[in-house]
Amino acid sequence: MLRYILRRVLESVPTLLLIVTLAFVLLHAAPGGPFAADKPMLPEIRRSIEARYHLEEPLWRQYLRYLADVLHGDLGPSFQYRNTSVNQIIAAGFPVDVSVGLSAIAVALLLGIPIGLNAAWRRNSLWDRIPMALAVAGISLPVFVIAPLLVLVFAVRLHWLPAADWVHGSPSHLVLPVLALSLPYIAYVARIVRGSALEVLASAYIRTARAKGLPTRRILLHHTLRPCLAPVVSFLGPTTAGVITISIVVETVFGLPGIGRFFVTGALNRDYTLVLGITILYGTLIILFNLLADLCYAWIDPRVRLES
Amino acid sequence: MSLAAPRRLALAVTALLGACSHHDDPQARITAPAISVGSALAGVQTVARMIEDFPRSLDPQLTTDIPAQRVLDDLFEGLVTLDIDGRPIPGAATSWQLSADGKTWIFHLREGARWSNGAPVTAEDFLYSWRREVDPKTGAGYAQALSPIVNAMDIALGRKPAETLGVEANDAHTLTVHLVAPTPYLLELLDQVYLYPVYRPAIERYGDDWVRPEHIVSNGAFALHEETIGNRITLSANPYYWDAARVHLQSVVYYSIPDRAQAVLRYLAGDVQFTDSFAASQRPWLKRTLGEQVVNSPWLGIYMLGFNFKLPPFRDNAPLRRALNLAVDRAALTRALKYDMYQPADTLMPPLSGYQPQHPPWAASSQLERNALAQRLYREAGYSREHPLRVNISTPVQGADERHYFEAVAAMWHAVLGADVSLDESEFRVLVQNRELHLLPLYQAAWIGDFPDPVNFLQLFYSGNALNYGLYSNAHFDALLDAAAQEPDNAVRYRLLEQAEQQLNDDAAYLPLYYYATRHLIKPYVQGWHSNLVDRNLSRYLYILEHQGS
Repeated sequence: MLRYILRRVLESVPTLLLIVTLAFVLLHAAPGGPFAADKPMLPEIRRSIEARYHLEEPLWRQYLRYLADVLHGDLGPSFQYRNTSVNQIIAAGFPVDVSVGLSAIAVALLLGIPIGLNAAWRRNSLWDRIPMALAVAGISLPVFVIAPLLVLVFAVRLHWLPAADWVHGSPSHLVLPVLALSLPYIAYVARIVRGSALEVLASAYIRTARAKGLPTRRILLHHTLRPCLAPVVSFLGPTTAGVITISIVVETVFGLPGIGRFFVTGALNRDYTLVLGITILYGTLIILFNLLADLCYAWIDPRVRLES
Repeated sequence: MSLAAPRRLALAVTALLGACSHHDDPQARITAPAISVGSALAGVQTVARMIEDFPRSLDPQLTTDIPAQRVLDDLFEGLVTLDIDGRPIPGAATSWQLSADGKTWIFHLREGARWSNGAPVTAEDFLYSWRREVDPKTGAGYAQALSPIVNAMDIALGRKPAETLGVEANDAHTLTVHLVAPTPYLLELLDQVYLYPVYRPAIERYGDDWVRPEHIVSNGAFALHEETIGNRITLSANPYYWDAARVHLQSVVYYSIPDRAQAVLRYLAGDVQFTDSFAASQRPWLKRTLGEQVVNSPWLGIYMLGFNFKLPPFRDNAPLRRALNLAVDRAALTRALKYDMYQPADTLMPPLSGYQPQHPPWAASSQLERNALAQRLYREAGYSREHPLRVNISTPVQGADERHYFEAVAAMWHAVLGADVSLDESEFRVLVQNRELHLLPLYQAAWIGDFPDPVNFLQLFYSGNALNYGLYSNAHFDALLDAAAQEPDNAVRYRLLEQAEQQLNDDAAYLPLYYYATRHLIKPYVQGWHSNLVDRNLSRYLYILEHQGS
C-alpha cells in the first residue's frame, strides 16, 4: 500500500512539471503583457518594473528561475496586485474554497445517497419519479441561474440569510453558496446511486436477504449501500478537486474571496505568476484526489488490487 | 415582477442646509456638511460601499485604478483635499502662496496634522513621497503626471537623480514647489492619490508589506483596519486625524463586487448602501423600483473612437473622418442603448465651468442634414456603395450592452454610407498593447479626466505624448497647447485651449460619442455627499440617519 502511494506520488512529479511548463509557455506566448495599461508607462519606469520581475531576461532563464523558486515554496510576486505575493493570495483564498467545496461535497453525499437509494427501492413510484425529475433539473440548471435565484429569494425577499460576503466561522454565510454549489452534485450522486442500486437490488444475494426476512433498513444500509458507492467514489475523485477549485460563478455571486476568480482575472491580466501558482495548486489537487479515490475504491471493493 | 424594494424611511428630511460657501478661493471653502434638519443620526455610524474591483495596491504611488482611489481618498490626505463638491480645499496644508510669475508655490502645512500612529505630518514626508513617485525604481505607473514640477520628467526618464526634483522642505511645515511653467490647475493635481504622502519609516521597515493592516500608517480620516484580498477592505476612524471631531462614520467597509448585477442584488438585500456602478440596461427598472436612490450626474469623461493618422484608410483623409463623424446618430444611440444615462457628445471636453465648449458646425444641423453631408464627404473621400469602406472597430471584449452599441454604430454607417464595418474584439490587454503600438486604424478610446482642466483632455492629441495613440499631429494645435502652458492667466489660457479644441474638431481628429455619467445607488439614509464632476465622495463627510430596515 505505502509502496503504491509512493509510486503514485513519484509519478505525479513529471506530470506537474509538464503542466507548469505548458502553462508557462502558453502564458508567455499570449499577446499583451502584464504591464500593458490604459495609461502607457514611461520607458524607464517600465524597464524598472520589468527588471523587478526579471521579465527582461531570456525566457529559459525566467523559467529556470521560476522552477527554482517554486521548489523553495515561493510562487513569486503577483504582477497584478503589487505588494502582494502569490503565496499570500493563495493562503488567503484557498481555505475559503476548501470550506465551501468540502461542505458542498458533504451535502451532496448526505442528500444524494439516501435519495438515490430510496428511489431505487421504490422504483417507478412517485418517490422515484419526482426526485429523479428534480435531479435532471438540478443537473441541467446552471449555477449562474440557481445562485442569483437563491440570493433573490432568501436574501432580498425573505431576509433570512446574507446575500453574500464571507465571514470566518459564520455558518449563515456558508448556507447559500454551499446549496448553490451542491445542487447539481446532489442530483449526480442520486442518479449514480439509483443506477447502481437497481443492479445490486436485482442480484441474488439481496433476494436471499429478503427471503430471509431481513428488515428493509438492514438490506439497504448493510448489503446494498457499499457496492453502490464504488461508482460514486470514482465520480468524486476528480469532481472534488473541481468543486474545490472551479467555483468561480459561486465565488462571484456570493462575493467569496476564493482563488477561482483570481485564476480568471489573473489570466486576463497576464499575471503570469498568479496563474502559474494556481495552476500548480489545481494540478496537485487533481492528482491528490484521484489517488484518494483509487485508495477508497480498493477499500470499498476488495476485488480491486492496487498493485495491478 | 417587482422585487421587494428596500422599505422607505419614515423620515422627515426637510432641507439640506447649504453645505458649502461658493467662494472662489479654495482656501476659504467650508468643508463639513450640515446635517439634515429634522432627522437624527443613527446610533451606529458605519457604511458599506461597493467598488468595482479589488484595488491593485493600497500604495498611493503604485496605483491608478478607480477602486484604489476610492479607498485611498479615505486613508490618506494630500496637501489639498476635496470638499463635498469635489473641489480642492486645504488638507494637510492650511494655506499657500503663489509667486508673481506663477511658477513657485509655498505651502504651509497644518500644525496639528498627524499620522495614524500619532507622529506629525511634515514637509519632509511630502518631499519623500513625491521623489518616490518620480523615481523610476519605484515603478509608479503614472509618474509623468508630475511633469509640471521642475526636473520631474528628467527623473522619471532616468536622466537625473530623484533628489533634483523641484520641491524643497524649508522647515517641518513649509514646502516649496518649483514649476516648469505656471500651472493654474496645480491644486487639482495635488489632490490626486499619487501625490498623497506615505510614511517613510513603514516603507523602509516593511518593504512591500507596508500596506498590510498591521503595518500601514496613513494620515487620512480613516485607518486601515482589515483586508480580505479579493473581497473587502475595512477602515476605521483615525483618532489622530486633525478633523476627527467632525468625522461621523466609525467605520467604512469597501466590498469589491466586479459583477454589476450582483452589486445591485446586494444593494437590494441591504448589504451595501453606496454602490459605484450598475448596467445601463438595468437603469429603467432601477428607476422604477428605487426612484431617487438611483443617482446619475455628469462625470468628467468622454467615450469616443480614435482614428489612426498613420494608417489607411484615415491617413490624409479628413473627408472620410468627417463623414463617419456625421453619420452617427448619437442622440438615438444614447436614448435607445444607454437609456438616457449618458449625454451625447459632439466635442471633446465635457461641460466645465468657465470653459466655452467648442461644438463643431454640424452640431447645429439635424441628423438628416448631417447624413446628406456625410454622403457627399464619403464620395469625396473616394468611396461609394460599389466601393465601400471596409474597416474594423477594435474594442475590448465586453458585455452585450457595449457590443450592441458598436453594432449600432456600424449599422448606421452601413445604412447612411454603405460602409462595410465590423467589430474586432480582443482582450483588454491585447487591445491596449496594439493601440500603444499604433496598429489599429479605428479603436475604442475613452478618457476620464484626472482633474477638471481641458489640458488633461487635449494632451491626448499632443505630438509625442504617449497617450496620443492615433499619432495625430498638427503644428498649430501643438503651438496653442505650448502657449497655454506658459500662460498664467487662466481665462486667457482657456481661450487658447478652446482654439486648440476647435482645431481638433476641424481636423475631425477623433469621433466623440457620449460623456460619461456617474452611476450610484445610494440609500436615502446615507447623507453627506453631493454629485460632483470628478465623482469622488469622501467618506469623511458621510453620515447615517436613523432608519428602519435596510
